[in-house]
Amino acid sequence: MSDQTTQPPIRFSGQKSLVSRLVLSTLTGRPIRISQIRSSSSTNTGLAPHEVSFLRLLEAITNGSSIEFSYTGTTLVYRPGLITGSAEGLGTSGGVLRHELPAGCSRGISYFLIPLCLLAPFSKSQVNVLFTGPGVITSATSTGDVSVDTVRTAILPLYAQFGISNNIELRILKRSSPGSGGRGGGGEVQLVFGHQVRLPKTIHILNAGRVKKIRGVAYATGVSGSNNARMIETARGVLNQFVPDTYIFSDVSSAPLVPIENKSNPGAKRKIGIGFGISLVAESSTACLYSADVASPPSGGQTPEDIGKQCAYQLLETISKGGVVSSVAAPTMLMLMAMGSEDVGRLQMGRHVLGTEEIIGLGRDLRAFGAAGWGLRDASGDDGDIIVSIVGRGVGNVGRKIA
Amino acid sequence: ARNLHSHKKPFRTTELVRMMYNESLSPADVIRKWKGDDEGPKNDEDEEEEEIFFKKAPGDDAPENLEDRAIPIFNYEDLEEKWTDEDNLETLRRRFASSNLLEEKEK
Repeated sequence: MSDQTTQPPIRFSGQKSLVSRLVLSTLTGRPIRISQIRSSSSTNTGLAPHEVSFLRLLEAITNGSSIEFSYTGTTLVYRPGLITGSAEGLGTSGGVLRHELPAGCSRGISYFLIPLCLLAPFSKSQVNVLFTGPGVITSATSTGDVSVDTVRTAILPLYAQFGISNNIELRILKRSSPGSGGRGGGGEVQLVFGHQVRLPKTIHILNAGRVKKIRGVAYATGVSGSNNARMIETARGVLNQFVPDTYIFSDVSSAPLVPIENKSNPGAKRKIGIGFGISLVAESSTACLYSADVASPPSGGQTPEDIGKQCAYQLLETISKGGVVSSVAAPTMLMLMAMGSEDVGRLQMGRHVLGTEEIIGLGRDLRAFGAAGWGLRDASGDDGDIIVSIVGRGVGNVGRKIA
Repeated sequence: ARNLHSHKKPFRTTELVRMMYNESLSPADVIRKWKGDDEGPKNDEDEEEEEIFFKKAPGDDAPENLEDRAIPIFNYEDLEEKWTDEDNLETLRRRFASSNLLEEKEK
């Protein structure tokens, strides 16, 4: 650890892609310093509750990390430690790490799950985290997070392409939608990621294939199950002309009960997280996945028909962008490729998937962490896709270097 | 040369390669330039100046633009219009396994 103190931190500014920078820092072992986090905002200066929560999660699954932030929370210095996963003795009981999210959290659980999944393959022992507490929102959110179903059916299968496929499970124990004002939910989700590797495989995925089936989950928490049927019907109405093999599951559950602070009635509980939504995933003949997510806004006022239709159109839009990855999955794929062995991996991406701020930002961040620049060239064929070539860094799993 | 410059095709891969690691441009600017949203050469300078003003104006960036989003914000009315249009639907049909490949080849 002593050599890390000599390494100067890489400097970033702004709260954008904070999480992906933290993940990169943890994976590469380089300390980072992020300044000007919402420094211009007069109402929510500094780190937001979900970001603090993510830092706590990082601290819990690593050993030897140090996190310092300034008094106002606008500057953050993070020195990563080793990713130990849910090792016994470090806040873990019975192999399960409990991570509680505060009620003020406005981001969906996928905000935590997707980066955690990126860290998990490089962990020393298996990662087994139970997300609980009044801040867990399993549905899609209006802050732009995908639902937990999309993580399970569209993100986790991607790891199989890197040779990471055993003992990975995402259990949805209690569903919830965002509560009033988009904050809090009270759901419960457990992620078991039991496949740790030395290095992810180098991939060459250039054939997007054709979409052959669509699966989905419609969920309703605390509202009638007929909402599910209505969402499914309109979504199918749009999609059936393309894919006859469309099947959307329906999951109805009651709203979670969360204890509230009340002096006169200490046992009082309140139902929060009422709502409904739908997640759709299209699978192509070459196992490429495209996903779409829409949930009812916490302010209400949208019919299930609207939600179903919007989600179906969003799915068509995602498919039409082409490439072998959707923009939801692209950061995961690109990051795993960059962490692979020192070999060139190739990925065909749609022009409009690659040409987004997030992806360009990610490419720059990767270079700042010492990865090689991406090579881009036009793909053959008339889709106008771009082939991205990425040389892996060959860092891999420090904990498994000997094994 | 400027004239030629203004006629460049948007979305060229080589353009993106050139700008990708150019740290003087923010990712948003890269995308904007790549899309060819820049106006003609005459407006160029004005625009840049304006931009500086915009950037300095407090509260110009909507807070939602500064947060990370997994799902971009869609205008669902536009999307609905796009995906009820027959031509668009036909072009998309190629991406689905149910489409008739033979028919496509005949065309």
